[in-house]
Amino acid sequence: MEHPALTRRRLLALFGAAATLPVLSACGSSVGGGGSAPAAGGGGGTIKVGLVVPQSGVYASLGEDMTRGWELWLESNGGRFGDYTVETVAVDEGETPQTGVPAVQRVIQQDDVDVVVGLVNSATALGVKDLLTESRKLLVVTNAGAEGLTGAAATPYIWRTSFTNGQVAAAMGTHLAETGFAEGVFLIAPDYAAGTEVIENFRAAYTAGGGTIAGEAKPPFGTTSDYQPFLSTIQASGARATFCFFSGAEAITFVQQYAQFGLAQSIPLYGSGFLTEGSVLPQQGQAALGVQTTLHYTDQLDNPANTAFVEAYTAAYGESPSTFSVQTWDAANVLNRALATATALDGDSLAAALGGIGAVDDSPRGTWEFDGQTPRQNMYLRSVQDANGTLVNAVVEDLGPQSQPG
Amino acid sequence: MLVSVLNGFAIGFLLFILAVGLSLVFGMMDVLNLAHGALFLGGAYLGAVLGGSWGGFLGALGLAALGGLAGGVLLSLMTEPLRRRSHLDQALLTLGVALIAAELLIITFGDDPLSAAAPPGLDGSVTVLGAVYPTYRLLIIVIGAVLALAVYLVVDRTRVGALVRATVDDREMVSTLGIDNRLVKGAVFAVGSVLATVAGVLGGPIYGARPGLDATVLILALVVVVIGGLGSVRGALVGALVIGQIDTVGRVLLPDFASFVLFGALALVLVVRPQGLFGTRAVAR
Repeated sequence: MEHPALTRRRLLALFGAAATLPVLSACGSSVGGGGSAPAAGGGGGTIKVGLVVPQSGVYASLGEDMTRGWELWLESNGGRFGDYTVETVAVDEGETPQTGVPAVQRVIQQDDVDVVVGLVNSATALGVKDLLTESRKLLVVTNAGAEGLTGAAATPYIWRTSFTNGQVAAAMGTHLAETGFAEGVFLIAPDYAAGTEVIENFRAAYTAGGGTIAGEAKPPFGTTSDYQPFLSTIQASGARATFCFFSGAEAITFVQQYAQFGLAQSIPLYGSGFLTEGSVLPQQGQAALGVQTTLHYTDQLDNPANTAFVEAYTAAYGESPSTFSVQTWDAANVLNRALATATALDGDSLAAALGGIGAVDDSPRGTWEFDGQTPRQNMYLRSVQDANGTLVNAVVEDLGPQSQPG
Repeated sequence: MLVSVLNGFAIGFLLFILAVGLSLVFGMMDVLNLAHGALFLGGAYLGAVLGGSWGGFLGALGLAALGGLAGGVLLSLMTEPLRRRSHLDQALLTLGVALIAAELLIITFGDDPLSAAAPPGLDGSVTVLGAVYPTYRLLIIVIGAVLALAVYLVVDRTRVGALVRATVDDREMVSTLGIDNRLVKGAVFAVGSVLATVAGVLGGPIYGARPGLDATVLILALVVVVIGGLGSVRGALVGALVIGQIDTVGRVLLPDFASFVLFGALALVLVVRPQGLFGTRAVAR
């Protein structure tokens, strides 16, 4: 079977279906692939997918967005990848590798799934590399942004539909160097692996474009609640702009304090898109206005696929999709495309098939393709704006396609 | 730099309000209350949910005080049967309470980090010492200073305070005078817990409210107690102000060691003066 394109009619049909759907998010339940769609025809088997996303802990809201993205794709496509009926086994990733690695182990060894989808935490994704290689199972990463998951040192079994930390930062580095901020950007990110990757890749792209760094700070990760000392350092550095990477609670405090200490008016704040993405934005409130970030998605994107996606998602779940929803929606999307040509369900066959799917032309984020097992995709410059009382990440500029750096 | 010193006072006074109860309870009754951070977080959530207006802010303070009172009495009753057991048993009990409380807070308020708005009129910034500074933090300095003075006067100048200090020094002797030191403990536990939840509401606009914040502030409070010395109001105040300065000025002066300055100072105090700056006896017994 060919991969069914996402049409408006399909999504309209979903409106009715979704309204009656129980939300299958919590608890490690085994979820059937929704209603059996007669349209698929032609027999075919079952593909068992382990959906490993956080259902508890600080990333629980990301996990919920991801589960919704996954379910939305399946519901709008009859619960099938081509000839295969999809059976989803949802398991809690938790916060850390201590919970995430056993969760992946469980779905592979106990539930005997064919494919693993999900993973928010990069350390978890890196931690299951050997397990996947031994069992020759495919993993489609739908968030974790560590550079080492794909690229030079990669295993053939890990593919990614999300982003790399450096990819998002490099786009901003090039942009700032080109747009009048070449004389001095201050860099700040928490002192841990992802923070370092973001800073290093921003620095590489920014200095390659002729920029000079005004200063740099690495607040302790997870324990810093007051950024005043670092904000004073930024002011004293004479920087023209600040580039930062924070997420979750740290993103809320940093953006708010950046405004409270008066830096927002004098030194514009730029960041990796996760600074203002998802549930943190309403909490940041007015302090976030005017903050500019790069990311591969915003629900404000103006293209037909995204319009339909946002409409269906909002109808089903009562809130706008986040980039996490799209990344998981696209995981289902590419698996469906791969299964059109895959000869079997083992990791090698699926990896080979994924390598041949070419451009993904119906994604809400715009057309993208795999380049070294991770997306080569357009990066968007976004600015936080007030749209009738709701804060949104409005598109300022399309910065063009960007691959994993290095 | 001057603004960092000012900010050090804001953080320091907030830490004092948080830590003084922990210090008195630990110093007096040898009860290590690991649920102290959870009390703070409970207050922070109340502030985040109700805050934004003066009515909401004051209502949150009132509710937090009531909650703290109830929590303190409950904790005091729970630790009573373990009075003659080791520190570890008490720590385990309060750790269990802390974990349960944290989970209940997540169930009630959700996993997402929340921000708490300062009351209207204080949510802006003013220019102090040539730098822009959030108005609300100035209020924290004032409230902290007033509370510190009040606690100091009560403990140092009143009969009740004398009782508390005497119980810290030698509780067996106090009980021979016909005073039920369970009541003293219960009262101190209750007041300390009220201060912790109130600190949570007051700290909300600075720290926000999120799962895991309880552990972060508990560690800060323990550092304050260890640096200041057990069972001493003056110790808790000086310890908190020192930590406030180290956490701000220290990070400005030594940005590369931002992760280490706090615990570096702690290690230094433990080596040079293991009983704390104002403590009268060693921590380890």
